[in-house]
Amino acid sequence: MFLETLIFCLAGIGIGIFAGVVPGMHINTLLPSILFLGIVFKFQPYSLAVLIVSTAITEIFVNFISSIFIGAPEADTALSVLPGHRLLLEGRGYEAIKLAVIGGIGALIATLFLLSFFAQAFKILYKISRPWIHWLIIAVIIFMIVSEKGKRKMISASLIILLSGFLGIITLNSSLVNQQNVLFPVLTGLFGLPTLIVSISQRASIPKQARDESLKISNKEIIKSIILGSIAGIIVGFLPAIGISEAATMVQYLGGRGEARSFLVTLSGINVGNEVFSLISLFLVGNPRSGASVAIQRVLSELTFWDVFYLIGVICFSAGIAGILTLFLGKRIPKYLEKVNYRVLCSCVIIFILTMIFALTGIFGLLIAFTSASIGLLCNYLGIRRSHCMGVLLVPTILFFANLNPLILSTLRI
Amino acid sequence: MNLRINLTLICFICSIIGLVLIYLAAINLQPIKVELSEISFDLIGRSVTSEGKIVYKKVHSAGHLFLTLEARRSKIQVPIFAGLMNKLREKGITEENFSVGDKLVIAGLVSEYRGQLQIIPRKVEDIRLNHVS
Repeated sequence: MFLETLIFCLAGIGIGIFAGVVPGMHINTLLPSILFLGIVFKFQPYSLAVLIVSTAITEIFVNFISSIFIGAPEADTALSVLPGHRLLLEGRGYEAIKLAVIGGIGALIATLFLLSFFAQAFKILYKISRPWIHWLIIAVIIFMIVSEKGKRKMISASLIILLSGFLGIITLNSSLVNQQNVLFPVLTGLFGLPTLIVSISQRASIPKQARDESLKISNKEIIKSIILGSIAGIIVGFLPAIGISEAATMVQYLGGRGEARSFLVTLSGINVGNEVFSLISLFLVGNPRSGASVAIQRVLSELTFWDVFYLIGVICFSAGIAGILTLFLGKRIPKYLEKVNYRVLCSCVIIFILTMIFALTGIFGLLIAFTSASIGLLCNYLGIRRSHCMGVLLVPTILFFANLNPLILSTLRI
Repeated sequence: MNLRINLTLICFICSIIGLVLIYLAAINLQPIKVELSEISFDLIGRSVTSEGKIVYKKVHSAGHLFLTLEARRSKIQVPIFAGLMNKLREKGITEENFSVGDKLVIAGLVSEYRGQLQIIPRKVEDIRLNHVS
């Protein structure tokens, strides 16, 4: 049993690295293949669950490499592109990766600690929170707008939220692109492509990366960010509809907004906290809250306390190995990046991303990416924060929970 | 300064043109017509239209209506969520109008819930009910 667990754990870590590094590849994209492999090779249910958990955890850590170094994020790390890229261009790429790893490992410990004491409270909150979610998101949007300085910027922010919100309503509710892949062109267009285009137009180059491995952030700030990330991750885990990106947007505004380092720690914490809680919520409320936990529910059907205990062990082991591997890759990759012509590299990455978008989502995916990139670039030229583009997810979520979706879709005839 | 204004304008125009094109494509793209038996996990995330006979009906306390459709021995779940049920009620269609044995033409997104395939209708036009007299 132990050896089998170890083998499947390492295999999951391997798949997780692949999913994390390749733009457009996500654990949810790979899950059907993993489940199919499980049926073909007749894997034991527990072995399959170990494979899924270790893949999911590793992907969270390694995905920061592709989002920070090449600006090709997944939905969960979309907001890391901006602060991560900023640090890379300051010669602190490795620090950005190190902060993400610290945030993830720290949040793993903090989440397990919080859940062991407050599991029952979360169970109650889960039941009573649902009717209020859209009001909470509306409050966040208002806060996002008024936090811009000056009337002109507030109007610009509202315009971006409207444009991205409309884009979200159409793309998330139509059959233009398979709904499983639709977030790839949308979020890469809003966050990744504008970063790369601006880098090319500003003739940016990756400066020599700092040799020192110190962190330019206080321990107090790290601990604060880890706790904030863990709590937000758990909230994402039990609140329906609030995704990692929405929670990260809220946290970005509520705690230390603008501080790239603390934000990276928090975002990584939210990702790990959410994955841990999603798994535990299977046991607590019998409701899966992530792609991986849906797959685990299908494999193990009923989760006992000891199953959860076993899978937490797998999470801890995978997180440890994934953290080390991410740090290893995070140290090597910037050294190669500083040797190449960054403009050429950005152009190659844009071509690669567009090819992936076309392969996964076809011509409509390219049209969505073009439109999203235009909205993302508009933020740059209007001088406002690009996180307003999260309207693409926030607006459709409000409509869904306010029961306005049928009315809007009928009116728009989508 | 002028270059910045020009770029802002170009991006704004591109955003609007892109949104208009996406919208036009979305309203003109019809869901794929499929037999109930042809709906598989490969279609998850796609919009489809299908039809079948209601073989199971359950009204949830939160206002949702859960139906199971069957055609040629294939079954699929059709959850009609509370928001859409409210809209249907405004059109005079209530839970009572859906009876076991009735034929239902349904359009919606194929998704998976707890290992089961389902079609999720999202607007009133997605549901066409034919009563069996």
